Amino acid sequence: MLTIRNLRTGYGKVQILRGIDMSVAEGRIVALLGGNGTGKSTLLKAVSGLLPVWSGSIEFNGEEIRNRKPNVIVRRGLTQVTQGKDMYPAMTVEENLRIGAYTRSDKAGVVADMNKVFDYFPVLGERRRQLAATLSGGEVQMLVIGRGLMANPKLIMLDEPSSALAPRVLLDIFSIVNRINRNEGITILLVEQNVRMALLLAEYGYVIRDGVIHIEGDARDLINDDNVRLAYLGGTVADAGAELAH
Amino acid sequence: MDLLLDFIIVGLSIGIVYGLVALGISLIFSGLDIVHFAHGEVYMIGAFLGIAIVSISGVPYFGALVGAMIVTGAVGVVIERVFYRRLTRGGGGYTVAGMGMIICGFGMSVALQNVAYLIWGAAPHPYPVSFGMPIFLGNIALPKSYLYILVSALVLMAVLHTFLTRTKLGLAVRAVAYNKDTSYLMGVNVPAMISLIFGVACAMAAVAGVLIGPINYVQIEMGYLMLLKAFAAAVVGGFGSLPGALLGGVVVGLFETLCAGYLIASYKDIYAFLLLITVLMVRPTGLLGIIVKVKA
Repeated sequence: MLTIRNLRTGYGKVQILRGIDMSVAEGRIVALLGGNGTGKSTLLKAVSGLLPVWSGSIEFNGEEIRNRKPNVIVRRGLTQVTQGKDMYPAMTVEENLRIGAYTRSDKAGVVADMNKVFDYFPVLGERRRQLAATLSGGEVQMLVIGRGLMANPKLIMLDEPSSALAPRVLLDIFSIVNRINRNEGITILLVEQNVRMALLLAEYGYVIRDGVIHIEGDARDLINDDNVRLAYLGGTVADAGAELAH
Repeated sequence: MDLLLDFIIVGLSIGIVYGLVALGISLIFSGLDIVHFAHGEVYMIGAFLGIAIVSISGVPYFGALVGAMIVTGAVGVVIERVFYRRLTRGGGGYTVAGMGMIICGFGMSVALQNVAYLIWGAAPHPYPVSFGMPIFLGNIALPKSYLYILVSALVLMAVLHTFLTRTKLGLAVRAVAYNKDTSYLMGVNVPAMISLIFGVACAMAAVAGVLIGPINYVQIEMGYLMLLKAFAAAVVGGFGSLPGALLGGVVVGLFETLCAGYLIASYKDIYAFLLLITVLMVRPTGLLGIIVKVKA
């Protein structure tokens, strides 16, 4: 569904991505793992059109979307769910969801999808008239996922839902993401630092490091792979020490 | 007592006009991340365009108001597209490009003033409209133009408020004002929204110019003091807040009219800034502090 080939880009003259190859098959949950500063967010920006791509290709549903404008890419069915801090605090929960459906003109479908979001996240329904600024961290994460669903996407790129969330809340959110994937048939690219959690949810995983895909494989294999723990920065201090000693 | 009522009506009207310009400055600040220093000149151009339209025989005052709004809005969009877009693309606000933007705004202010000079000359122009007899409230005679200001401005505010809170496009404008990248990801055509924001802000300034025309003369230097007063209004109300801009305008207008009326009239232009300094000392975020927007 999404195929990225030899993608290179960066900021100004500084190259961040040095040839990324990866693909996300329809209906799957795929994890993209990596620590801070490895290029995860840059890759997301390049795919969603916020950052110009230097070279390589990004194919979505058989169409080349490299360097298309973000508002065009969203209309193709590829939605990026940004981190929770990117909600609109001065708008109500309902307005936040409505802006998610900005590209759509089918009013009935939008209403139906909003109710669906409230089914997945009942707390949002209870707070629909409240300002988003009054929500808790977990509720905000639910809000941005709900906002992503409102675009009626085929593929959601989920950017670090675990950041700044308590593990139990994260578990709730991950189980809902899993249900969304199965019930709605929405493909999910999960970008995470929390490797263990992400690999529990995903079927396949890529580990990015220094702007290239370092390791890839089935989630079950990756979770037991020592190299994975070392490759991203979630390893213990002892691991890091061992790596330095090599 | 009659005198007080007179001062209040005049202050309120002038204040609402400040508020209209301040609203534009606040809109541009939230949408483009820049402080638009040429906004006083946009207001002046709007006032002159109003005269030009009203001079076409048969066009009523309100026709001129709407006409000046549309033409000035279009001029604003052209200015944004041609001159400002290159700079704001590099980032506004606190970036290096943002500093360039401030200089560009000053330059635009000088340029617009000289364009107006070439077209209309330096002499003050009276507004060629008559509202007939003033209204008598007890012992005071109140020119009808003050009522026109109050009514038109209130209608305009109501329309703007409805647009921003009840329509999808208004929602997108608010979204872009808060965070451009996220709004882009929601599918909003951000560059088009920025043009729209700039155009609306310029249209508001034109309304202010046409409304104040019949009270004051229209001349090419009228923008400079208006910019400072509107700026004071925006800061007093809470910079970036739209209701704050209006409230700030009304507070500044009432304060300076009352002070000029009961204290020393020749210091009229000082009182607004006295108020500005006081508010900044007591409540630096302005009267209606807002949720601070995301700066890139």
